[in-house]
Amino acid sequence: MASSSSSPVPPTLTSAYAAPPPTTISTASTSIVFTFPTYTSFPPFYTLQPNLTTRARQLTLWSNLLTTYCAHHRLFKLSLSSLPSNLFANPSIHRSLSQPDIRTVLAHLALPANGGRVEWIPTSSRAEKPNSCWVYWRTPTEWADAIYGWVDETGQKGAVLTEYEIREGEAVQSQEWRGMDEDLLRKVLGLLVKRGKAQIFGQEETAGVKFF
Amino acid sequence: MASNRRGVGLSAFSNSAISADQYARHGQTLRSNHAEALANQLSVFQAALHNFSLTHAKDIRQNPQFRAEFARMCHAIGVDPLAGSNVKGSAGSGGKTGSVWAKMLGSSVNDFYFELAVRVVEVCRETRAENGGMIAVSEVRKRIEKGRGIIGGGIDVTDDDIERALESLVPLGGGFKIVPLGSSRFIRSVPKELNLDQSTVLEVMQILGHVTVSMLQANLGWERARAIAVIDDLVADSLVWVDSQADETEYWSPAAMHDG
Repeated sequence: MASSSSSPVPPTLTSAYAAPPPTTISTASTSIVFTFPTYTSFPPFYTLQPNLTTRARQLTLWSNLLTTYCAHHRLFKLSLSSLPSNLFANPSIHRSLSQPDIRTVLAHLALPANGGRVEWIPTSSRAEKPNSCWVYWRTPTEWADAIYGWVDETGQKGAVLTEYEIREGEAVQSQEWRGMDEDLLRKVLGLLVKRGKAQIFGQEETAGVKFF
Repeated sequence: MASNRRGVGLSAFSNSAISADQYARHGQTLRSNHAEALANQLSVFQAALHNFSLTHAKDIRQNPQFRAEFARMCHAIGVDPLAGSNVKGSAGSGGKTGSVWAKMLGSSVNDFYFELAVRVVEVCRETRAENGGMIAVSEVRKRIEKGRGIIGGGIDVTDDDIERALESLVPLGGGFKIVPLGSSRFIRSVPKELNLDQSTVLEVMQILGHVTVSMLQANLGWERARAIAVIDDLVADSLVWVDSQADETEYWSPAAMHDG
């Protein structure tokens, strides 16, 4: 019997029951209220489980929640000092994941073996623990494919686009990557450069990108 | 009494000249007549039921009440419609009535229960990390109904169907067992059996949703050490989840996690 899930889920534990990130997100999704899965009303969900088998399952659920939440709200990055109030907590049941536990969960999800849905953003000083991370409800590779596909379909190969246009331009209003962080876009474009599909001219604000 | 060898009239019957042997032979004739009559009736009935199942295969598949009645009817005449169901079209083992039925009923009913059994096994496997191998029959049903494929996706599946499907697995071994906990019925898909204390705590959890050590002491009259030992066992077997943000640590049954 085939599993019902076709979207990316952590390879270690697949579940036909896990909710994958939505395949299309069109416009301002904050107008549609995010539906929290039932397990977010389960008090133990906010306690890191002592039994490791149970914990593994718990972390899979956290991974699913994180990716669907961020995809819905178009959050590309999480900052530990200013987290959304209802992501790691459910005020109605007076439960929340503690800061150290949040870190543990994110660190777990950052491991490639667990799907690599999170990547810590390095701080300027090596000695400091990172305080923010990317949330890859689409992986950088998927973003690269999506952006390149759009460039191709709209006949913009050979034209030079600014990074701003790609992120915020009128032409991308209905695209999933609209509003993407500058740094993340640069990372994604970097992948296309490596593949020989793009070239970046200039620096920072005046940077232009040409696709091949 | 003087024996009267004249075998006529009423006196003939009180005559011990009618030997036990004659009685025996007479009884034998009656029995074989009955058996023959019965066999004839049964084969007529079997043929009728066979035709019925073919005509109504679709109904049997799609209508759970119909299915339940059909199964009850089969059991009432001492036949298990699922016996030998995973041996399609062959003579089956020893030509027992069961395997003859499997041939006669056709693949439809067998397929339904066999596929259902496979789905049940899958659901148990997928959820084992979450519930330690104890899952309510009703939860299995809900998950299957949500799924795709031949089972689920529009076909009404009842708790009854699920238990029947599991029964069909019994000849294959595999250790799936129905465990009643309070008023609910659970499927246990791990070999480890619960001891009485563990079952009791799980039952209490079914009713109250969660327990604390104090609640076990108060409600069951247990000593603290005993309550703690049982809880530790249940946690170790991943049968319960821990909530450490309450005033006293709470232990929850995962059955409530995906409700609604």
